Amino acid sequence: MKRSRLSLLLSLVALTSAVQAADQVPLKLELPKPLFAGTPRPISLPNLEKPRTGKRPDLMVPAGTVNLSKGKTVTSSDSLPVIGELAFLTDGDKSGTDGTYVELGPTPQWVQIDLGASAKVAAIAVWHFHSQARVYHDVVVQVSNDKDFKTGVTTVYNNDDDNSSKLGKGKDLAYIENFEGRLFDAKGAAGRYVRLYSNGNTSDELNHYCEVEVHGTIAK
Amino acid sequence: MFAPSSRWLPIAFVALAALWLRTHDLARRPMHADEANQAVKLGELLEHGRYAFDPRDHHGPTLYYFAVPVAWLRGETTLAALTETTVRLVPAVAGTLGILLLFALAAPLGCWPALAAAALMAVAPASVYYSRYFIQETLLVTFTLALLVCARRWWVTGRTAWVVAAGACAGLMQATKASAPLFAAAALVALLLVHRARPVTPRLARDLTLAFTAAVLVAALFYSSFGTHLSGIRDAVATYTHASGRATTGASGHEKPFWYYLSLFGWQRAGGLLWQQLAFSLLALAGAIVAYATRQKFLRWAALFALFLLVALSLPPYKTPWHAVHLVPCFALLAAGALAALPTRGLSLAVAGCALALQLTQTNLAVFLRPADARNPFAYVHSSPDVRKLRELAEAALARQPAGIIRVISEEYWPLPWYLRTVPATSVGYWPAPPAACDGALVIASAAQAVAVRARLRGDYHESYLGLRPGFLCVVFTPVSALP
Repeated sequence: MKRSRLSLLLSLVALTSAVQAADQVPLKLELPKPLFAGTPRPISLPNLEKPRTGKRPDLMVPAGTVNLSKGKTVTSSDSLPVIGELAFLTDGDKSGTDGTYVELGPTPQWVQIDLGASAKVAAIAVWHFHSQARVYHDVVVQVSNDKDFKTGVTTVYNNDDDNSSKLGKGKDLAYIENFEGRLFDAKGAAGRYVRLYSNGNTSDELNHYCEVEVHGTIAK
Repeated sequence: MFAPSSRWLPIAFVALAALWLRTHDLARRPMHADEANQAVKLGELLEHGRYAFDPRDHHGPTLYYFAVPVAWLRGETTLAALTETTVRLVPAVAGTLGILLLFALAAPLGCWPALAAAALMAVAPASVYYSRYFIQETLLVTFTLALLVCARRWWVTGRTAWVVAAGACAGLMQATKASAPLFAAAALVALLLVHRARPVTPRLARDLTLAFTAAVLVAALFYSSFGTHLSGIRDAVATYTHASGRATTGASGHEKPFWYYLSLFGWQRAGGLLWQQLAFSLLALAGAIVAYATRQKFLRWAALFALFLLVALSLPPYKTPWHAVHLVPCFALLAAGALAALPTRGLSLAVAGCALALQLTQTNLAVFLRPADARNPFAYVHSSPDVRKLRELAEAALARQPAGIIRVISEEYWPLPWYLRTVPATSVGYWPAPPAACDGALVIASAAQAVAVRARLRGDYHESYLGLRPGFLCVVFTPVSALP
């Protein structure tokens, strides 16, 4: 009797998983043209993550997931960037050419996207700057319903390995920017606001964003 | 006539402003590879009193020898104690003296145009930027201006002291860079073309012999390391063989189009930043037109000197932006000539004020706001601010493992030796390719070498990135056991 109940339970779990899996679809991102126009010397770039061969694996997201950030309001710790506008983050142009990115000042800076309503965030894609081999330092990505990010904060990604941004020590691996951008699995984190931090890069002390896409569904 | 105070107070103000622009926050910009390399050579001279001219890869000795007393005055007697500010004070002071010398040279234009010339050079982006840069270029400009001032004084007075001083300046030029004869020749040919009269001296041959002797003695003194390294004199001649060899043996990586130097004085956009010196350049161009329209000899000389320099610098494919500083004094003289030709003093002052303001805006952007930015046309193949982190990383690594070694494994590593100058020589090593044993208290590998280095590491390491310069990344391997 017990065995048949256990079998029934296992069957139900398997069926639920199958139904959920059937609801998962690969996230499709539109990628810009590669901009590595003139690296001064031929360098084989090691990634601190395991080197990947071939196409980036699909990130499975719930069916109905859409880009929630397109055209949404962006605020920042650097409210008056010298180059570009904060609106560039959500304008859909991730080409990375001059006039399509915003440049924030030196020292740690953040940008924040207001999705307009609380959402279940499946994935966040970020293009900092991809016309040159560079690594942005202390990248932290968070989701919250609190616009001040004091309560209910979910950290999606954190590679600040020495806690220099005072947001907690991160264990995620640094990465080299390229035209594919960086895709973070947000795992359904709930929140209306998405905040991204960085602290300069390996080329200069500044912080750049071509585009940020927040994919998810509006919470009911 | 001008009262002495109205003549000297304005130039004193210009000189003070020039000094401030050249010395304020000198450590702000990270060390360029060339600066770091020369600063390490200075450290050797300071610590051990050793200097030997290297005819293959280095310019002349004056930069190092003039830096020694500055370091002493600041209480820095070792490489480890040297600072960016100390080494950069030498070109900064030389650059300020250059302003005063240009003022003296421009005297034939009249007092206030001479002041305008000095002010335009004082705020010129290239002049300010490379007066804060531990390389030879600004010293060469200053010695060239000193030569011209002394030579002109000798020409009109015939006094022996001036011709000997001019010779000594020529010697200092030669002891600064092997390209010095180019600048002296350009000035001389321009002079011969516009000024047919003889100098007032009745003893021309004797005076020229004296000048030549002074030049040779001064240059020999420096190249021989003040008599301690006589083969340096032979090497000073041999440097031309190496230079011509380099010129004929293919690409150096610094090839640029003919109009490169002109473009630095023009208008260009890079990554959202605007770089322009149009007001200054247009005034200089107007000055050249005035020179030929009014047949003013001095202005015509300045125009020809500028033209010869521009052509001589632009013809070789090898070009670096610091050579642009040689054009600034000529352009400033021409611009001052144009200002002097305007119909009213009020209009001249208004135009000069606008030009100065525009130049100051550019200088602020190039020198203080974006000093190491790859978009800055003067920040040439510049080190990334990231390199400053290295000293702290190295000191922390050796604090954890005092007997450990810091390995730098990279095909290019300057300016890292400067940032590791406090580390004992026995605790740091440099390899162009991965050695058999790569483990260390801290391992810095270029991106190109990182995969091979990783394969040879036996311990567990935490990895992070460090930028050497834009587009050139290093991977920093820190032993996991040593992490806090």
